[in-house]
Amino acid sequence: MKLSPAERSYLHDSLALQPPIRPDARSPAQFRPLEASISFLPSSNGSARIRLSDGSECIVSVKSKVVLTANVSSLILVDVDVSGYRDDSNFVSNLNYHLQSILNSHFPTAVLRLTSRYSFKIFVDCVVLLHTSYPLGLLSLTTYLALKTTSLPKLVSEVNDEEVEEQPTFSDDWDQSTPLIPTNSTFQPPLLFVVAVVGDNVFIDPSREEQEVSENGMIIGYETQGVISPFNNISLSDREVKGMKLLHVIKAHLLVKKCGEEVLKALNSVAKDEGGNAIF
Amino acid sequence: MSNIEFYSAEGLRMDGRRWNELRRFECRTNTHPSSSDGSSYVEQGNSKVICLVNGPMEPENRSQLSTQKATLEVNLNIASFSTTERKKRLKSEKRTQELITTLERTFEQAIVTKIYPRTLISINIHVLSQDGGLLASCTNAVTLALIDAGIAMYDYISAVSAGLFDTTPLLDLNALEENVMSTLTVGIVGKSEKLALLLLEDKVPLDRLESILAISIAGSHRIRDIMDKEVRRHGKVRLSKSSS
Repeated sequence: MKLSPAERSYLHDSLALQPPIRPDARSPAQFRPLEASISFLPSSNGSARIRLSDGSECIVSVKSKVVLTANVSSLILVDVDVSGYRDDSNFVSNLNYHLQSILNSHFPTAVLRLTSRYSFKIFVDCVVLLHTSYPLGLLSLTTYLALKTTSLPKLVSEVNDEEVEEQPTFSDDWDQSTPLIPTNSTFQPPLLFVVAVVGDNVFIDPSREEQEVSENGMIIGYETQGVISPFNNISLSDREVKGMKLLHVIKAHLLVKKCGEEVLKALNSVAKDEGGNAIF
Repeated sequence: MSNIEFYSAEGLRMDGRRWNELRRFECRTNTHPSSSDGSSYVEQGNSKVICLVNGPMEPENRSQLSTQKATLEVNLNIASFSTTERKKRLKSEKRTQELITTLERTFEQAIVTKIYPRTLISINIHVLSQDGGLLASCTNAVTLALIDAGIAMYDYISAVSAGLFDTTPLLDLNALEENVMSTLTVGIVGKSEKLALLLLEDKVPLDRLESILAISIAGSHRIRDIMDKEVRRHGKVRLSKSSS
């Protein structure tokens, strides 16, 4: 996106003000309005779709497969597909890496263990239909919802198969299925937030114009307990990236801590909603 | 597989349909108003397809520009989770490429391309769930999205698949039925009996072809009516918004 020098300077200066003015009059901790739907794919264990007000849209499906635990390196596999980008492009593999690594390090794979030999392997497939700003935040929110709505079939065979070799068998009653993340568990899937830095201010969920004038960006992880790793630095604009002050890091940390709790609460209420299984 | 009865003596199929019945067909237009010029969503049984159309617009590279007519570009994205067994599909896969070419050729004839010279019409199809009739549901989705984008077309192109079980022609096959019998996909121009699209990936006895074509034409006409109803419903909503 090309901004004229006048537009750029106007946007940058209003975002750098104390207090800042965002082009769509949001507060620094406010997200763009979004629309979410869940569990619309009949052949997936869990699915979610989120659409932002600017038309950015992401669909995530979670599928599972029974595997021999010893044969696989990771029980979670993330795959990102962005419309208009090659699968092996830098942009897509970066998004993939961020999602994969936070799930690998903060998702307790113990819940996927079936028996002493077998486990569920879950496939998290993300499709970005359209995006204007950096889609990692959107991807992470949708992945969270999809994981929250995932159900796995109930195991009816023995859990202990160390002595007797036995293939796991499952109940064919889908009403008996167990949620991947039990409703009463303290654990929640991790989230990633994108924060933009302009002047001395930090903004959550930057729009395309805000990214364009930003001096720096950060990718910050969040879980129920608070801010977690990663705490990455990222360039959101095509222009040269400026250095970051300690103040920015502290501000971003506080911002994500403040938003994270509310975002979790909002997403959980969506996931609880047993709304019809219509996508639109 | 052998213990499944595909067509019972009473004339019922495995999902309870008769030989000439369609599956549940639901469609929506203008589902993505802020991200594309035209959009649609089609559900044909458990097959789910989203289609986004952008254009007519100036093409990015000059090689796509034609001074005589509009250029069509179709992107087909079949999600890896769309089938029961997850399978990663490459864009360069032969089958996908063939579907793309089929769609491009069909819609080059259906769109009044000569009134949009020097432009590009870009069609993006996202398949979320597959349960038979992939090409048929894509064709219907593209038709609806093109209408929503306001692109001039000669008529609706409505498509449906049909197969032959023993000697009985069956309409609108699901994935299980598609696996055991030869399948013919037919696209029909409006209410006529003109074929805009015909795809047969395996063999059908020549003397049975006529009966299969007959039921698929009847089925396509019914789908055209459902799509027309949705377009008119959406048109009414748009009109009431613009007049008030």
